[in-house]
Amino acid sequence: MDGMIRHFFIAWCVTMVFTGPLRAGGAESRGSDERRLAVHVLNRLAFGPRPGEIEEVQRLGWEAWARKQLDPASVDDSDLHASLAHHFPSLGMSLAQAYRVYQPDYQGQQPSAEEMRMRHMMRGRIKDELKHAVLYRAVYSERQFQEVIAEFWRNHFNIDHNKGEVEYQANHYEQHVLRAHAFGRFEDMLMASAKHPAMLIYLDNVVSQKPLAEHERRMIERFERRSTYRFNPYIDQLQRQRGLNENYARELMELHTLGVDNGYTQHDVTELARVLTGWTAGWQRGRGGEMEYGFLFAHDLHDEGRKRVMGAAFRWADGVRAGEMVIRALARHPNTARFISWKLCRYLVNDHPPEALVERVAGVFQRTGGHLPSVYRAIVFSDEFADPANIGAKFKTPFEFTVSALRASGARLQHPSATLYSLEMQGQPIYGCVDPPGYYDQAEAWLDPGALLYRWEYALKLARDEAPGVRLDEALLPRLRAMRAQEKVSTLDTELLGGALDDRSRAALEAVDDDRLLLGMLLGSSAFQRQ
Amino acid sequence: MQPTRRQFIRHSSGAIIAGSALSAAPFVLAQDKSGDPAQPKPTLVVIYLRGGADPLQVLVPYGDPLYYRVRPTIAVPGPAALPGAGAGDRGAAPLNDYFGLHPAMRPLHDLFREGRIAPILSVGSPHPTRSHFDAQDFMERAAPGTRHITEGWLSRYLTHTRTNHESDLRGVSFQPVLPRSLRGEYPVLAVPGYGMNQTLDVFEKLYVNCDEERSLNQKQAAEVRAAQRPSRAGQAVPAAHPPIDGQTNQQTILAAGSRAIARLRELDRIIREGTNSATYPPSGFGTQLSHVARLIKADRGVEVTALDYHGWDHHAFQGGAEGTMANMLADLAGSLRAFSDDLGPRMERTLVLVMSEFGRTVHENGNNGSDHGRGGFMLAMGGMVNGRRLYGRWTGLDRENLIDRRDLPVHTDFRLVFAEALERLFGFDALGSEFFPGFARAGKMLDYLRQV
Repeated sequence: MDGMIRHFFIAWCVTMVFTGPLRAGGAESRGSDERRLAVHVLNRLAFGPRPGEIEEVQRLGWEAWARKQLDPASVDDSDLHASLAHHFPSLGMSLAQAYRVYQPDYQGQQPSAEEMRMRHMMRGRIKDELKHAVLYRAVYSERQFQEVIAEFWRNHFNIDHNKGEVEYQANHYEQHVLRAHAFGRFEDMLMASAKHPAMLIYLDNVVSQKPLAEHERRMIERFERRSTYRFNPYIDQLQRQRGLNENYARELMELHTLGVDNGYTQHDVTELARVLTGWTAGWQRGRGGEMEYGFLFAHDLHDEGRKRVMGAAFRWADGVRAGEMVIRALARHPNTARFISWKLCRYLVNDHPPEALVERVAGVFQRTGGHLPSVYRAIVFSDEFADPANIGAKFKTPFEFTVSALRASGARLQHPSATLYSLEMQGQPIYGCVDPPGYYDQAEAWLDPGALLYRWEYALKLARDEAPGVRLDEALLPRLRAMRAQEKVSTLDTELLGGALDDRSRAALEAVDDDRLLLGMLLGSSAFQRQ
Repeated sequence: MQPTRRQFIRHSSGAIIAGSALSAAPFVLAQDKSGDPAQPKPTLVVIYLRGGADPLQVLVPYGDPLYYRVRPTIAVPGPAALPGAGAGDRGAAPLNDYFGLHPAMRPLHDLFREGRIAPILSVGSPHPTRSHFDAQDFMERAAPGTRHITEGWLSRYLTHTRTNHESDLRGVSFQPVLPRSLRGEYPVLAVPGYGMNQTLDVFEKLYVNCDEERSLNQKQAAEVRAAQRPSRAGQAVPAAHPPIDGQTNQQTILAAGSRAIARLRELDRIIREGTNSATYPPSGFGTQLSHVARLIKADRGVEVTALDYHGWDHHAFQGGAEGTMANMLADLAGSLRAFSDDLGPRMERTLVLVMSEFGRTVHENGNNGSDHGRGGFMLAMGGMVNGRRLYGRWTGLDRENLIDRRDLPVHTDFRLVFAEALERLFGFDALGSEFFPGFARAGKMLDYLRQV
């Protein structure tokens, strides 16, 4: 069989698998199709089903369930909210408060050993609060789609809280940039990120300064060409001033809006970097007289010369306005609409989303001025989203796997450190992606021959209650104990996988006589790695 | 102008040939035994310095006074700058009368004098991107500017030379996630850790790959992987691709799992039973390299391995003879030296290539660091290196000769260096085929290597 024929053959088989039972018309098989769809929806719009949730989605009908999820305010999440506010106070703090609490002042000129220890501890604490909150929310929030989409934006507008002072700011960023705008307009999220100290520090805009004027540059060059070198304090001063840093300007176009090489040049990058000189962060006196920390426009760093970004000229005395204008223009650019739509379709539907879907979604993005809930709706209620061919077609990222395993097993997460460690080993520490593109959500990035091992390890530890701080649902094991081998496997298959288990895995699992091992194997099975 | 086998240096004043005192005749170390079946397979070890490592701090052009003017705070002093006993430790270690090795890399200086290290100047990509991600993608896939090539160049080499009776450890990487150069159709093993035999026993039952299915799985996996090539997060919307369906995804995962189990078992044994005969720095990189050495010494047919070394994007507080970058260079050089000592005679058949995605701005920036540039450097270490001299063309630091008046130019296309490594190590003709798409034999090889 040559490749082409084989391809058709496989496609035909798959079609048979999914349409066969429907044609048969039996109530039972229709039920199992609905169940499969419910699991699909829970896998893509939530981090997988928790015990009982498949039934809940089936009862409501998946569209009604999804509509509720797309409007998070309509879902009660007050218990989790109260618990988070209690355990992770940094999430509710302004940047200034976070600094005051988590970077306690030294009393004297020389900090005491105790003071230094305290600072170190508090620094660790604010970072932990964020990582823990992200994990707890993903596992326990009733507003699952909000968490799923927050994870998308977390990677789209990636920051690394291990870089410099970002550690004190990332908690505020998560709340006021990502979560605050995930159900608003793209443009507002973009603007909020552009003015957030965490982004400006992470991508080095805070150290970007106006470049030298032409006459200054010529002076330095003349000096450099001279055959003998003599120190000149004025030239030295000038040389140190050079400081245009293009990092943020480049990523703003390449990663955050247009997509790489999609309508801009290196010249535009440099010009945009000049526009954004002076966009920095710092302390200033607020309205109430208190010192506040946040976005700060530094006039002395700003380049006031003429700039041209993508054909548009900017010469504004007010460097904040000029920057805002470019950022708005980028947010409204048609290439941005297409790029963001394509990424969202890739995340929610298929690693290679159908062209037609991307086109339609990009149209909605443009028509609604980047109104994100409308964009999400266009994807979720498309024919493509529920197409049987897209069921189980994505490979879970380490984060998706880990969270879905915790949810499926109904585990109680008393302390997340062992789980966070496993995420690190799997290559996806929370708020720890060094690279500006954030973590990939495609199979190719994660499906390396060795990459499954840490998943298997975690699955076994979870099932055996060997992961510190994680305990299985107490009801699960006694229930299994009362069942026969076949029944155990089919129950777990139905409840955790919605019936996605293949025959050979089923046979292998039915031979396992240890319930914990059985559960661990199921979580490590190929079926559970898919969504 | 294409690079030639001689090293050229052009000062701002004009072109001169810099065959200086140290660049003597090639140092012949061992006789060629490439046809001997009793000889172990040669091995290529690629070290990728992620972030754009600064060439001017590694191969310090101390002979050019301009260097000290354009880098007032971060320049590395030359060997003569600090007369007196012990001063040599702080200045660059001379490679010739113009270039010196960063003082933190002194462990490699002996190897240079023995002719076992060849530095390559002004090497890089013809594509002008200064984005890390694009530059890395383009370089690791050895297809600058081409988006439809999505497999790593090392993976492509392994695929091209695949046979039915080959070692299943031809391609290995001692890190949890494969470097891009090794991603692709060929099933290279990424090693997350050791001592997990129990886990493997358990999952072997679920990730079975029966013989009849294996070929189907591999074929399918290849098709799926070809379809799944990522368009990296930052990429513009790519050309249409058929979506992946659930069934094929399942097959891919099963195949990946069963391959992983078989090979992890074997590798685990090799690392546990292997030994090292040199002391590596106690760093993550040092440990990884010591494992590479054990694997090579185990004679299990490893041909290609690659390691990432992160953190070379020194936009601020880069340091000079000492400081952030110097500490990293010390770790890099100490590890490489230990590796060379450890392998001993095996270095005759082992080539280490150290590379990075691009160089950096010639002028330091306002934050005592440097920004993304163009021309970079490479280091080749091994017994087959034509050593004791530098390779590539050098056109000085004068703005007139810089790209965009800011960056070192690219005089040597990195693909030429890659091609020579594949040819001299494995006898693989990468330039004769379409291995590097659109890159015909445009120039002569640098001849930095002898045939193994």
